[in-house]
Amino acid sequence: MRQSPRHRQKLPWPILAIALLAVAFILSPFIGLLWRTPWSKFTDIVVKQEIRDALWLSLKTSLMTAILCVIFGVPLAWLLARVNFPGRRFIRALMTLSMVLPPVVGGIALLYTFGRRGLFGQYLDSWFGIRLPFTTTAVVMAQCFVAMPFLVLSVEAGLRQLDSRFEDVARTLGGSRWYVFRRVTLPSIKPSLIAGLVLAWARALGEFGATITFAGNLPDMTQTMPLATYAALDSNPESALILSLVMVAVAFSILIALRDRWLGRADQGPPL
Amino acid sequence: MTLDTRFALTRGTFELNVDLSFNEGEVVAVMGPNGSGKSTFLHAIAGLLPVTTGSLVLDNQTLDEATREVFIDPTQRPVGIVVQGGLLFETMTILENIIFGLRARKIKRTDATHQAQPLINQFGLAELLERHPRELSGGQAQRVAIARALITAPKVLLLDEPMSGLDTTTRQLVRAEFREVLAGFAGYRILVTHDVDDALSMADRIIELDQGRVIWDGPTSEHRGKI
Repeated sequence: MRQSPRHRQKLPWPILAIALLAVAFILSPFIGLLWRTPWSKFTDIVVKQEIRDALWLSLKTSLMTAILCVIFGVPLAWLLARVNFPGRRFIRALMTLSMVLPPVVGGIALLYTFGRRGLFGQYLDSWFGIRLPFTTTAVVMAQCFVAMPFLVLSVEAGLRQLDSRFEDVARTLGGSRWYVFRRVTLPSIKPSLIAGLVLAWARALGEFGATITFAGNLPDMTQTMPLATYAALDSNPESALILSLVMVAVAFSILIALRDRWLGRADQGPPL
Repeated sequence: MTLDTRFALTRGTFELNVDLSFNEGEVVAVMGPNGSGKSTFLHAIAGLLPVTTGSLVLDNQTLDEATREVFIDPTQRPVGIVVQGGLLFETMTILENIIFGLRARKIKRTDATHQAQPLINQFGLAELLERHPRELSGGQAQRVAIARALITAPKVLLLDEPMSGLDTTTRQLVRAEFREVLAGFAGYRILVTHDVDDALSMADRIIELDQGRVIWDGPTSEHRGKI
């Protein structure tokens, strides 16, 4: 039901006031950031090699993470939503756990699993000579660890909302499981998939704790934007401000680019 | 030739237990209240649920037999299904919906479209081909759903509450249309409905299910029309 203008005037003002405070709280740091940004030095700082390296590394690793999350996360989401197997609840709980876990703990866990003396890491090193910590691969692993659950849970929710009778009908029409998944299921859950992808990507882009613990803070290798920003805060606060602003701009422009496909989709029909 | 369904199917605490034989050419209405096992029965025939004991045999070919571990996949069964609301694939055009069964069998789009022409003409869908399901009326969607089910030339046509959710006027039009479709289809025709008027007006034989058991089975003329 649509509210009449008269009804809207009766909005309870205490709720309005509290809600506006919440908006002000979220908005004001951005204003603070813009206010303190040394605009005159903006171009000088942005073109610096280490900053370009950090930005490029962040984009590269977070996109890699997003792709890996889709490749591994979508099949897992499908299993969780469609197949009743023992341990399903455990896996779902595990996903939620790594979502609510402080990322630094994830980093420590990764270090003692894939580190040189870790559970698997010792064999990777002695058998294959592979050392993961403090490499770009480790950055991607740390990001996947924290970002994957966002994609899995979002896609799983999308699958649960999809009437499984669509898939049943498609099966009776001769579609193999893979064909039905590709042609019926996947297009129908596209909004959830995109939402999950953006959430996972954003989470990967902002990853700090697990990365610095497992991958370290080596410029051009593992120093992503958040790490570079934090490092700069000590030595060169002006750089930190500008780096922060660049990250706000990157995140914002992705949201803008996706708004029609994702944010604005509620009042449109299914994607064509 | 017959379709023989002599099986039990257990799902949780519910058990469907039937011993029924269907003749080619007859239109059978399966009736019963919600939870009587009507849809489960259709799902078993389509291969969407495996039987627990007993067997399902179509024209001497075993589709499902628990003891001999025979189970023909739903994709391989000559069964077409039309359900309530049509359940058209929302992200595809009407044409893509109709030719889905051919495309799933790796038939090229142009060939599939060509092959679909007779059905498109029969159901008067030529004007709708490039539209999407959400742009169709309930009656139109149901016609597309029938064309989609018939394109693979099934031997068994299952109609699962196809007229629920339609308003009274549309319902009457669609009922007339369904009667025509059923008349033009030579194989086994099973209509699941909870509407006694649908059953009386369309079926030669009526089967009533209750709590997974057959409580009535006979020609429509002998059915007193109450349930």
